[in-house]
Amino acid sequence: REVMVEKQMTAHRVDRAICGWFWEYVLAHAAGDPSKVVVSPTHYLFRVYRSGVTFLACTQVEMPPLMAIEFLSRVADVLTDYLGDINEDTIKDNFVIVYQILDEMMDNGFPLTTEPNILKELVAQPNMVSKMLNVMTGKSSTIGSKLPDATASFVPWRTTIVKDASNEVYVNIVEELDACVNREGVLVKCEACGEIEVNSSLPGLPELTLSFANPTIINDVRFHPCVRFRPWESNQILSFVPPDGQFKLMSYRVKKLKTTPIYVKPQLSSDSGNCRVHVMVGIRNDPGKPIDSIIVQFQLPPLIASADLTANHGTVDILADQTCVWTIGHIPKDKAPSLSGNLRLEEGLAHLHAFPIFQVKFRIMGAALSGLQIDKLDVKNTPSAPYKGFRAQTQAGRYEVRS
Amino acid sequence: VKNVAAQSLEVKKLVYLYLLHYAETRQNEALLSINIFQKDLSDINPLVRAWALRTMAGIRLHVVAPLVLVAVKKCARDPSPYVRKCAAYALCKLYDLLPEENTTLEEIVDVLLGDSSFGVVGAAAVAFKSVCPNCLALIAKHFQRLCETLPDIEEWYQITLIEILLRYVIAKHGLVKDSVMFASGLSLETQAGRDSVPVSNISSTQAETIVKGGSGTMPNIMLFRHYIEEYSGAFDRDEDKFSFPSVTSSTNDDVVILLKCTSPLLWSQNSAVILAAASVHWIMAPAEEVKRIVGPILFTLRSSPDATYVMLGNILVFAKTAPLLFSSYFEDFFICASDPYQTRALKLEILTTIATESSIPAILEEFQDYIKDPNRRFVADTVAAIALCALKLPSITSSCLEGLLALVLYELSITNSVHLNEEDAVLVQAILSIKEIVKIDAASHEKVIIRLVRCLDTIMEPAARSLIIWIFGEYSSTGNLIPKIAPVVLKYLAWSFAAEVLETKLQILNASVKVIIHSAEDQLEEFKRTVAYVIQLAACDMNYDVRDRARFLSGLLPCCANENDSSCRSQNVDVIKELADHIFGGKIPPPSNSDSNYRIYLPGSLSQVVLHAAPGYAPLPKPQSMILIHKTVEPTRGVADSSEGTNSDAESGSSRDESGSVYDSESEAGSDSNDEGHNLHRQKENQEAPLIHMYDGNVDQAYAGRAVDENLASLISTDLTELMSKSALESWLDEAPAAPLVPVQTSCARVSFTTRSFERKPKLHRLLDPSDSGGLSVLYAFSSEVSVKSRLLVCVDLFVENVTTEQLADITIKSEEASGSKSGMDQTSEGSARYTSLYCLYCDCFFFVNLFLSS
Repeated sequence: REVMVEKQMTAHRVDRAICGWFWEYVLAHAAGDPSKVVVSPTHYLFRVYRSGVTFLACTQVEMPPLMAIEFLSRVADVLTDYLGDINEDTIKDNFVIVYQILDEMMDNGFPLTTEPNILKELVAQPNMVSKMLNVMTGKSSTIGSKLPDATASFVPWRTTIVKDASNEVYVNIVEELDACVNREGVLVKCEACGEIEVNSSLPGLPELTLSFANPTIINDVRFHPCVRFRPWESNQILSFVPPDGQFKLMSYRVKKLKTTPIYVKPQLSSDSGNCRVHVMVGIRNDPGKPIDSIIVQFQLPPLIASADLTANHGTVDILADQTCVWTIGHIPKDKAPSLSGNLRLEEGLAHLHAFPIFQVKFRIMGAALSGLQIDKLDVKNTPSAPYKGFRAQTQAGRYEVRS
Repeated sequence: VKNVAAQSLEVKKLVYLYLLHYAETRQNEALLSINIFQKDLSDINPLVRAWALRTMAGIRLHVVAPLVLVAVKKCARDPSPYVRKCAAYALCKLYDLLPEENTTLEEIVDVLLGDSSFGVVGAAAVAFKSVCPNCLALIAKHFQRLCETLPDIEEWYQITLIEILLRYVIAKHGLVKDSVMFASGLSLETQAGRDSVPVSNISSTQAETIVKGGSGTMPNIMLFRHYIEEYSGAFDRDEDKFSFPSVTSSTNDDVVILLKCTSPLLWSQNSAVILAAASVHWIMAPAEEVKRIVGPILFTLRSSPDATYVMLGNILVFAKTAPLLFSSYFEDFFICASDPYQTRALKLEILTTIATESSIPAILEEFQDYIKDPNRRFVADTVAAIALCALKLPSITSSCLEGLLALVLYELSITNSVHLNEEDAVLVQAILSIKEIVKIDAASHEKVIIRLVRCLDTIMEPAARSLIIWIFGEYSSTGNLIPKIAPVVLKYLAWSFAAEVLETKLQILNASVKVIIHSAEDQLEEFKRTVAYVIQLAACDMNYDVRDRARFLSGLLPCCANENDSSCRSQNVDVIKELADHIFGGKIPPPSNSDSNYRIYLPGSLSQVVLHAAPGYAPLPKPQSMILIHKTVEPTRGVADSSEGTNSDAESGSSRDESGSVYDSESEAGSDSNDEGHNLHRQKENQEAPLIHMYDGNVDQAYAGRAVDENLASLISTDLTELMSKSALESWLDEAPAAPLVPVQTSCARVSFTTRSFERKPKLHRLLDPSDSGGLSVLYAFSSEVSVKSRLLVCVDLFVENVTTEQLADITIKSEEASGSKSGMDQTSEGSARYTSLYCLYCDCFFFVNLFLSS
């Protein structure tokens, strides 16, 4: 609830009172979630919320609202990248760096340098060694002294000289499975949203080509700026010069999947002030790899006096915000995990009338449920053949089972 | 500050930052450092040059500005692209300080636009937008190259550059003939079974007919006008300057290249770029190609959660124009448990917009799930959405009705056991939805009405009771079965009258009168006894509004209440009966198409999200208007309602012209559209904008051939003035038999606009006597409407009448002191604007309305 960093961008100063106004607004709308774009008496505010810190931008004139929102989330990403984690303490501890980053990222109200690689050369990342040095020598050097070459190059995301490259490249497919099962137990929609993360550590200016065995299953795509559009349009091949380090090469969506790996069957029946809950979980069709970290959670419906829930496998916790979390882990071979118990409704209420939605989490290492397969990865323009690694992983995204 | 000369880059940088922050408050110190900046500007390190330039431009002192200009000129030709980029940024800052130097600045922008580095071109685009957004001619020589570099420049610049290029193409070539706005858009509409109008002869009048005829969809041509026009007033109907498309996307090179270069941007990782690229396609691309924007923009809903809200708002507008574009993607709008309320509401609205015969079963099934959601407000919205779907697709009407009825019974079982405020909202909304559906064809749904009426005994919630009573009153004579149960119900209502709350009592009074008016002869006597009993009860009620209503009704229905029969009334029994018929038996006007009422802004703009023109919002340039260069940035304006004139046409059947309305007042007058489907009039509080619209209700044609009985004329100015609301006036016009040569002109100026006159009983106060004001009589009354702006404000109705035969012009109303509501002895329920007709708010309030006449 306090203003941590304030950066004025244009000639028209914005009074800090706007933050006070904003908090009052948020408090007044505590029940409903405040919107991303807020109209205050004097300004339009854009809001992005990340792990306890609200990033706020304001304008008085017309501008693309998505630009502001995207920029704020970019700021949040960059700061997370720099500080490891954003919260009140890390931002206060590294105030000078945060301020410098903001200064480099935006000038006169328009984004200036947002590419993390360039930023890192302009403003050094804080780490233990530099902190030690600061203490020992009494001087700090968080500012790069040289203009990064990449600002001039045609591939601004890549620094020209990558030091100590270990000549490796890793491609990681991370998928999230979104599914929605309605109250009749019918799978209403099921789709996989995936990201291809690449961690490259290659010397020079490498040329990479990535092709899929079955690119036709992909419905929607979004690319990192480094991906060239032409090869994708013609042959569905990803051709790119990678930035150094970890980055998100592409995100995609595969729609209309047929099945989910596990099933969750909730049953709720209520009469005369009691509601019996019974939830069963099991494997529907085995993806061939172990499914672990299975968690089923749901919000207890309102007007519940008390809840008594037990499971034959895993642990059941009821959190302070009325969320019931059933941690299963992985499904044992010999028995099907089930949760059962009783909810006592409040006095005078015979039937349950608001039914909870069960959210399911799980993780499968080593398999992409959409079935997307990488055909091959070619690396050109490197002195020696690099080591290439591939991985895949699926986890549950918005996996909901209604009851 | 002296440290600015320090050698250490670290110190230098921090001092620069310090200077930037405090330059305005400590000007002298800032000036001290100027010399150092000049030195730094010729430093070997490009980073130092860039910093110096940025800081120098950033300290914003008018004294320094000329120096900065020189520096920018120099840096624009710097060997380092980074410095050139900073020079472009400095241009924007300079423009604030030195707007008079804009020609010099434009030259520099021109140089930078021709730069070879992508980063510089992008920054130049930003500078272009802030320095000279209207010098689109400047783009001409760079156009092709700018398009080609578009995919390569940084994402933030892409957003700006796309917008500039779009404006350029429109200004140069005009609209695209086969875009979704025009020809092919209509083919989409034809499939949907709507009127298709040949492109060649779309005229303004036809565009208007589409406004009235189109149900739910926005006529495309109107949409485009929204994009172009400066701000919305009533559409200028005589304007034929509106130029028609002159190019097609396949023949015009510039259009082709722009579309080709923006289409890969639909795969950008930045949702703002996607939306910008999508809006170019939306406006320029042929309809077959517009399809390609659908997938990417829907994908952003999932992949950038922060952007969802803004994105959905834009999709809603797209979907309203071309529902078929999205109709097969309905699954993407299904609601997740994690969606916040705003997202859910938007998704619901989109779902109802895009629902088709083929997708409705799946959508309805989803809706059924949503009804059990713990968030009751969302459930109420879902119930409303079901009604909208049922109205849109007649095939599902009966199943929806059944479902809603079951829901009502189900909700009843809950609400009676536990009392929570939110619970009632669902029940009320369910009944409201039923009412909306039943309205279309009451006779065929009479069983539903009967079942609903049967619930009366168990429903406690006053708003729900009132609604059912309204339904009963309205349809008491329709069908075969309802008239049979009417006497029983009426007796039940009479029996329970004393125990009801205010709003229900008023509804019972209304309903009983409606029953009497529509009843068959054989039942009349029985009804009369019951109604007389009810009116007697009401006349002794504690609440003065109920008493007023009772008195009003007993005056209106002399047949029921024989006491108090004035001579005047007995003479005019027939007239009064007609009057009653018209007040209570008046057909509800067809719901006005409120969709076309609100203003549409360019996709992706802030104004689109906040639904009013943000300062600095610039619509697209006029097609083919390359020469026209300088358009002033429009000041903030309240958004005036765009088609009030049209709506009142539809409603009253007589044409009305908006007469002059020049007033400023602190009071807000605005009546919201209530459930009977009245117009949405939302008038913004703004000193300049017309606050109150005055309708001249008297157009001569309406009188032609009809005439006004002298007797009645005198009647209306004396006794019956209290009944003189619009519908009363009309009924009276219809019946008048005799023919004086000069028709009396009566204008009816209303601060608040409502036609449900029977909802209130105005007490009229004379403001201006005709004898001493040149023939103008002005009466005012406090209407019982709740002001939507604030509870402390009341709505005042003004009735202005010209009793002479001459024309009266230039009537000005000014309000001097419109505040001063003292002692709000209000007893009101928390009224959402939806039920305005049912809720009443009373405040003691003093209005001083001065009339200045200049004729």
